[in-house]
Amino acid sequence: MQPFALNYARPAVELEATTPYVYDTGLQLNVTMDGRIAAGDSALLRELGTTTSTAGSKTHFDD
Amino acid sequence: MTVLILTCEEDVTADMVVVHLNASGVPVVRLDPADLPGAVALSGEYVHGAFRGHLQSAGRLVSISGLRSIWVRRPGIPATRAPDPSDWLTEESSQALYGMLRGSDARWMNHPDAARRARHKPWQLRLAQRCGLPVPATLITSFPQAAREFAERYPDLVVKPVSGAHPQDPPRAVPTSRVAPDTDFSAVAFGPTLLQRRVAKRADIRLTVVGERMLAARKTADEADEVDVRFASADVPWQATEVPPRIATAVGAYLRAAELTYGAFDFAEDADGTWWFLECNQSGQFGFVEVETGQPIARAVADWLASPGTEPSSQVNGASSTVR
Repeated sequence: MQPFALNYARPAVELEATTPYVYDTGLQLNVTMDGRIAAGDSALLRELGTTTSTAGSKTHFDD
Repeated sequence: MTVLILTCEEDVTADMVVVHLNASGVPVVRLDPADLPGAVALSGEYVHGAFRGHLQSAGRLVSISGLRSIWVRRPGIPATRAPDPSDWLTEESSQALYGMLRGSDARWMNHPDAARRARHKPWQLRLAQRCGLPVPATLITSFPQAAREFAERYPDLVVKPVSGAHPQDPPRAVPTSRVAPDTDFSAVAFGPTLLQRRVAKRADIRLTVVGERMLAARKTADEADEVDVRFASADVPWQATEVPPRIATAVGAYLRAAELTYGAFDFAEDADGTWWFLECNQSGQFGFVEVETGQPIARAVADWLASPGTEPSSQVNGASSTVR
């Protein structure tokens, strides 16, 4: 009774559980452990894939 | 006047926009509806024919009448991080927050009612057709026989979820996938199935539209690649590209009809250079495009949020105020 589309499903790849930055409520920005603005570090963002189109798919359709 | 951003804390793509707003000296309040009640609080009174409302988050207090724009980025579901969450409390919190915000004069990116409608892929396909965008032959059906007949007419097919959602129990991904020629379509009876003629693409196109600004990026593909660019190799970079005038006109018409101020369009470019419409994500990610191409998408979003322009009132009728 499995819907047709689910014949093509594959296990979800979860993002790393931990990211090397934390949200700063004062700045309203995520900052790295050494105090830099995470959004200003393109290499970091590329490496983590946190801005890619599969990020956030668990709760949001629009990726 | 303040820009209100509704998103989760870990949303670094929103950070990219906040940085620009900060540099421009535009006041920003960022909050996650998941924290209402708790870290986020609200109050609004309707007295003597007037409304006065306020939101508070992380020590910031903002008047709802003082909002210039509202960016619905990646908000959590209201009340899900409340001390004692429940479906009832979610609905109460959602009605209170989004109900008050709906009454403001702020500009939306995107309005929740327009966003909800725009998530429906069948609706997207029809609107794209009406706006003159090339749409690959598509069938959405729960009739196995209809699927078989479609496969005879279009032997090279892909299947993708109608909703774009991924099953969570257990967590799985359902990428756009090729359908083998001798496939048994019996299981089509067990759920509406979206089949589409595969576009033999030479590139994927992501066209990000922010207000009137259109920023397109192109990623070369080859036959060995995954059909679904989200799961393709990251070795080939996205590169900025020009938007064909005909596409720009059609996309503009699409967004006006959809009452969207932001849209991330996915196209497949075939060997003739035709851009085939696949979908429009009303809240599609853009950080990965900006990181790779250097296109100023975050700045464009910040500029739009900060600008004083006025938008026409929405004509969309929403059935529920819960934004999920």
